[in-house]
Amino acid sequence: MDDIDAMFSDLLGEMDLLTQSLGQETEPPEPLPSTRQEINFSVGFTGLNASLHDLEDNDLDALMADLVADLSETEKKLEAEIQGLNAPPSSSSDLPPPPKGLGVQPASSITSPPSPGNNRSSSVTTPSSSTSSPLPPPQSSKPTMEEIEAQMKADKIKLALEKLKEAKVKKLVVKVVMNDGSSKTLMVDERQTVREVLDNLFEKTHCDCNVDWSLCETNHELQLERTFEDHENLVEPLLAWTRDSENKVLFQERKDKFEVFKNPQNFYLWKKDKKTLKDMKDKDKELLVQENFCGTSIIVPDLEGVLHLKEDGKKSWKQRLFQLRASGIYYVPKGKTKSSRDLICFVQFDNVNVYYGKDVKNRYKAPTDFCFVLKHPQIQKESQYIKYLCCDDAWTMNLWVTGIRIAKYGASLHENFKTAERKAAVSAAVWTNRSTPSSSSPSTPSPTIRAKTATQANGHAPKPQPGPPHQFHAADLNMSSWWKSSINSLHRSPPSLASKPPLSNFPPPPLSMDGLPPPPPPPPMDNFSEDPPNINKSLPPPPPNPEFLPPPPPDPVFVASGAPPPPPPPPPPAAVSAPRPAAQQKKMPPAPPKRTTPTLQGGGGGGGDFMSELMSAMRKR
Amino acid sequence: SMAAWDLSVKVEDLGPDAPPVTISVASDLHVGGVILKLVEKTQMQRNWSDHALWWDQKQRWLLRTAWTLEKYGIHADARLLFMPQHKPLKLGLPSGKTVMLKACFSNPVFQTVMGICRMLNIRHPEELSLLRPVEEKKKKKDKDLTEEIYDLTEVPLSSGTPTTFSRPCLYNGMPAHFADSEQMEGVYKMLSVTQPPPAPEVIAKQYRPASVVDKSHIHGRWLDSSRCLMQQGIQENDRLWLRFKYYSFYDIEPKYDVVRLTQLYEQARWAILLEDIDCTEEEMMLFGALQYHINKVALSEPQMMSSNAALDDLESALQSLEVKMEGDSSSASDLLENMTAPELNDYLKIFRPKRLTLKGYKQYWFKFQDTSISYFKSKEESIGEPIQQINLKGCEVAPDVNVAAQKFLIRLLIPAPEGMNEVYLRCENEQQYAQWMAGCRLASKGKSLADSSFQSEIQSIRSFLAMQKTNSGSSNNSAASDESINTHSLVSPRYHKKYKPKQLTPRILDAYQNVAQLSLTDALMRFLQIWQALPDFGLSYVVVRFKGSRKDEVLGIAPNRLIRIDLGVGDVVKTWRYNNMKQWNVNWDIKQMAIEFEGNVNIAFGCVTADCKIVHEFIGGYIFMSTRSREKSDTLNEELFHKLTGGHEAL
Repeated sequence: MDDIDAMFSDLLGEMDLLTQSLGQETEPPEPLPSTRQEINFSVGFTGLNASLHDLEDNDLDALMADLVADLSETEKKLEAEIQGLNAPPSSSSDLPPPPKGLGVQPASSITSPPSPGNNRSSSVTTPSSSTSSPLPPPQSSKPTMEEIEAQMKADKIKLALEKLKEAKVKKLVVKVVMNDGSSKTLMVDERQTVREVLDNLFEKTHCDCNVDWSLCETNHELQLERTFEDHENLVEPLLAWTRDSENKVLFQERKDKFEVFKNPQNFYLWKKDKKTLKDMKDKDKELLVQENFCGTSIIVPDLEGVLHLKEDGKKSWKQRLFQLRASGIYYVPKGKTKSSRDLICFVQFDNVNVYYGKDVKNRYKAPTDFCFVLKHPQIQKESQYIKYLCCDDAWTMNLWVTGIRIAKYGASLHENFKTAERKAAVSAAVWTNRSTPSSSSPSTPSPTIRAKTATQANGHAPKPQPGPPHQFHAADLNMSSWWKSSINSLHRSPPSLASKPPLSNFPPPPLSMDGLPPPPPPPPMDNFSEDPPNINKSLPPPPPNPEFLPPPPPDPVFVASGAPPPPPPPPPPAAVSAPRPAAQQKKMPPAPPKRTTPTLQGGGGGGGDFMSELMSAMRKR
Repeated sequence: SMAAWDLSVKVEDLGPDAPPVTISVASDLHVGGVILKLVEKTQMQRNWSDHALWWDQKQRWLLRTAWTLEKYGIHADARLLFMPQHKPLKLGLPSGKTVMLKACFSNPVFQTVMGICRMLNIRHPEELSLLRPVEEKKKKKDKDLTEEIYDLTEVPLSSGTPTTFSRPCLYNGMPAHFADSEQMEGVYKMLSVTQPPPAPEVIAKQYRPASVVDKSHIHGRWLDSSRCLMQQGIQENDRLWLRFKYYSFYDIEPKYDVVRLTQLYEQARWAILLEDIDCTEEEMMLFGALQYHINKVALSEPQMMSSNAALDDLESALQSLEVKMEGDSSSASDLLENMTAPELNDYLKIFRPKRLTLKGYKQYWFKFQDTSISYFKSKEESIGEPIQQINLKGCEVAPDVNVAAQKFLIRLLIPAPEGMNEVYLRCENEQQYAQWMAGCRLASKGKSLADSSFQSEIQSIRSFLAMQKTNSGSSNNSAASDESINTHSLVSPRYHKKYKPKQLTPRILDAYQNVAQLSLTDALMRFLQIWQALPDFGLSYVVVRFKGSRKDEVLGIAPNRLIRIDLGVGDVVKTWRYNNMKQWNVNWDIKQMAIEFEGNVNIAFGCVTADCKIVHEFIGGYIFMSTRSREKSDTLNEELFHKLTGGHEAL
């Protein structure tokens, strides 16, 4: 226990610094509602204390492992950055006497040991650099020059410190409600995407990792619910929750999340009859995904229909003819045509999220319970700025919500799906290789530190990334083989153009083209060899068929799951930069990191509370 | 052995009034021999290699020089013309500019377009075609205005890279034939740089289709790509339009597609300005903002486009390496440089409309820091705690400005758990407004004043303010320089009537904030993307009469589907996708098309506003476009195109 305590006092100091940025946000004396008044350190608990007491023993261990790992990582990062700054915050003596501005200089406490080899490039005092210095100032005649320089340097150092503090990361302890009603507690840092958190949960739960697993947020007060998109950062929306909220984060399978990629016809051809939609062939589905998500521009489903709108702040519902476009939702004003130029913009998507509304019939006397809601993510309570729209049935609601998500997130949705598919495929492979899953996730993967994904789109469909060429193979294969076959058949039975009815006639494609190519793709020459070799007697030579067939996808495993993705990323490695101590066993607390650097003195920021509670929770054991 | 007879041939090079040249031939003489005799008889020294015989009665070229007169069926009564196959043609480009160039009058139009695109350096010529222009409404005073024609007739016929279109060789960023002279460089610049926004009167003067039926008439003007220009009655020096015909733009590569991208943008821009495609008012404002931005960036970095193209792989690799190294070495000092956390401090007036107080604007000392504004009773008290601090992240910012009335208002809608809070900030003058507005806009997107875009944001706000000023005297509205564009140049004439220029300015500025940071290429691409995302994008219309129907209806032909539009209501009543298509037939005698789709769906229609060859070609063409794939993009499968679009000419 003493060991733990010692480690904690170390940790505490560091954590204070880490969480300082949270506490430092200035609180206005007469707080505007718009100003963030409090920062939650935990989400899904009545209080921080509860959150810590709620942690299972092994979770607490895991959490500690996370903290330790993060600390050493942060430390390394800081160190690297400071060295990169070329201005070590050491107080070593070859500097001119520190000016007043340096009084604050707590830099030595940061972490990095004063690196002796680090030459200050602009320093005039070192002879080596003075030779190369283009303008060696006559030191005696202009003493102020030096002072100015020193002052500038000091200022820069000060600013560098500020910057480093800013660079620190917000973390939340999040309670996630699992689909069986139990809950898991996670430490989430602000840079983590929902995808990363899901991966983390996969490790903890041994679920089947299928693409439908999602994180959802519920808003208790407004009775709203929405699925987070995988590319979103999790912490940001959670910070919008009020301190007393009973909102929850759920870990659930949500069929609607990626349904548009599994059955695109239901969204893009929704006007067709049910049977046609149900009987849609896989190759046609793929073509739809390709047309709408892989072109220069993301295409939003063509949705139009009468919806019930709850008027701003009123209790009544009004019917309007709405239309979804990439640029927003519009409605047709009374007495006008549906022509685009007459449409009135109802909402654009830059600043709103789309939610499912629950129990609206009861709460708001809505005509139906199939309601979706548009609001700014910060709004947490009843407000006239929340827009409620009711549909006649659940399917229509689903159509609209999905359509809005496509318009808002664009290519990111498709990227998310492809990533989720890869993840599912890798997990499936791992499962089959695993003898017993009893090892119960030996290590808690810490958040992989990653730069914010560039695909994070807000507003209009973002620029599509020119995907790697192989991305298009599957669909190309379909399209080209379809044409190949009809052209082949053209050769087999040449249209009698010379004879009386001048018809150019393209016979039907053979029926054998149904369905996806099976996992190991048929040898490309198969189809080609069907051609009788003597076909070009009376006709111009056939198109160079072999060229139609793209080379077989590199990895047959992925063919079945749609467009062949690039090779799967290796399973999440232990963080590259910082070897993190794995929490091997229940009773073994993570070993305290070897520390050669001076420890920090607590900065007394908003993190104090958190850490002492964390500590007492640990003591309790 | 065979009897000799006289054949008269008109030789174009001898002049229009010269009598035909008569030579003595036998029926077994081949065409090459005829030409040899003709040339000898004229005794003219010149390069005859491009010349060929045109048989007037049969409207066909005699291009097979090994064929005999007998095989061609030529007798003494044949009216033959000996003339060059390449003739000058005035070509209206999507940008509205005109080039004069020598086009092939003897090959199928598809190949003629390939030649033209090769000369203009446009990849993927299969997406373009030629059409007869819509006559402009000519006013008397316009007759004096002779339009500028860019002359390319001196370009050698074999110029350009043959067959492969993927990597044209460039000299100084241009295909070789443009690098020859300053005049030619000028032509290339015209092709590859976007045109400034047109003056509002120029837009108003253009023909604008008022209905879907009007639009369908335009599509009746496409030339037949299986037949040559001569066969379609096109004469030397005639005017034709070159346009993107198939809205399926394959493999756009900004580095190699400078001209293609520019002309595509121009076509899209005019489609928007002339309401050839419908959009909403919000979308129109965004298109306007993008045009403004594209023009501004094109002016400020005119060399960008060409130098972009000029970079061959090595050069660009070197450059990016340079940038990278620069980035590496200076990142630390940059970091420090950026850390002089900038802030704004000033007296402003604040007003909260939703609060039920009758108090009006009240003056405070404001401080803008990071993404928050705080205010204090006075400057002296600004060291202490602020009265309030407002974080602007995620808020909505709207301008409310009237330069003439010296009203500079920033309307903020700030999200909070309870809803949105309205706050107005009133600035004293332009200078102050531009700074604080720029700060608010950045903060709403989570960027601080330290962001590199802060200065350019201020600049763009100021130039929009300047526009409002110049536009208030509305008469002077010829297309103008950067600072004083008439906003009517950026939107369709409908909005000229609806809004005054100075009313448009804030709306376009509002849309502009989302695009102001884009590079030229990105802005062009964004414009094209938004265009492509419009519901009616890519539709070409034809009025048709469905079999068994008594009324005219409209067939819309899109890259992936056909749609049937009820003319009365304007609604899409039916959609058929090409990938469900089993076969299609054209009965050329009764001019009817019949299409069979999977599931025993059969449709048949006659074409009213366009020849059914045009419809046939559209459908076959789109199917051809969908067969293109990256691996074979280097070569154009001309034969397949011809097979899919040629009809009875194909075989």
